[in-house]
Amino acid sequence: MYGVDELIARVVGLSKIPSQKRRQAVVAELRAHLEDCMLAARESDHAGDQIDQLALANFGDPDEIARGFARVYRHDWMMLRISVFLLSTITVAGLVSGTILAMQAGVAIGFGIPLVKILASRHTVIEILDILSTVAAYLGLISMETLFRHHRLQKAIALLALGIGVLTALSDATNIHARFLVFGFVNGVFFRATQVLIKNRGTRTAITAACFALAGVISFQLQPAISQIAIAVNCTSWLVMAAGYQLMTKVATRVEAALFEGLQWI
Amino acid sequence: MGIEREFLKGSISLLLLNLLSRGDMYGYEILQEASRRSANAFEFKEGTLYPALHQLEKKGFLRSDWRTAQNGRERKYYSLTSKGKKAAREYEKQWQDLTGAIAAVLGSE
Repeated sequence: MYGVDELIARVVGLSKIPSQKRRQAVVAELRAHLEDCMLAARESDHAGDQIDQLALANFGDPDEIARGFARVYRHDWMMLRISVFLLSTITVAGLVSGTILAMQAGVAIGFGIPLVKILASRHTVIEILDILSTVAAYLGLISMETLFRHHRLQKAIALLALGIGVLTALSDATNIHARFLVFGFVNGVFFRATQVLIKNRGTRTAITAACFALAGVISFQLQPAISQIAIAVNCTSWLVMAAGYQLMTKVATRVEAALFEGLQWI
Repeated sequence: MGIEREFLKGSISLLLLNLLSRGDMYGYEILQEASRRSANAFEFKEGTLYPALHQLEKKGFLRSDWRTAQNGRERKYYSLTSKGKKAAREYEKQWQDLTGAIAAVLGSE
């Protein structure tokens, strides 16, 4: 059995009312109702210990009431989640792109390669699109996991795969070959899955470094014969990417949580 | 006399709009008025009233503001908007059509 404060906190906590101000108004409204009920019970000579119990019993199941509110505010809640997803994707993608490109510029300078060759290239555009789609997939997974109670990650991956499948089919049908979507999906799933499944940070970092170094070697194999320096630059570049994406996993959840909290006050 | 919860679910908007067409009221007052008019026929859990009020407010049928009640406490009063008044008339007509049709079926041989 809940007390008055616990009952109201439970209703409002599960209500999915997106605005903090409105939640506070609901708290005041429900509290006023329970005050009136207790006052009426007192006036009809109920014993002191029965008053709270009677008011709370008449009030009903807090989870059911919260579900009622969630139905009323479901569109506003969805808008909030979508806004948080879009804003955090743009913010984190910008941050990760900036960091990766800065680190790669450092690598290029170290190997004596002109900066323009690294940054002002088609490769940079592709890389930024890859980062954007990876961040979107990663944050998309985090958002979608909240939709499920059990096997959250697996179900979120399945849902995202469906979405990516549709988008890829559409892009192919319109002759826009959006390979970055598939890259982002694989990368986002990789980073979210390792984050959820591998609790030890050292092991996670080692696996990420190994996988990205391997990806660097494979991408080298697919290219025509190139110099030893180019191979070293290529592998270092992939490791830099791995470090950037690791940074993303740390930053993304915090940015998402901060935006989620902040937007509820607007 | 208790009324089946499922019956009540479909008619709660009509009841709320009708009760509020008689004057501005806050949640607890609405329940008291409903109980008084129905001779305690409605035995639904009180907390479920609030999502219904918020739904009607979101649809633009009601507006709300905090005022000092007769007991000197601040209460959130609900009142009908012009859209709500129109909806109240429409819902009432639909209800009369429905009950008339059901009564015709139940009364038929």
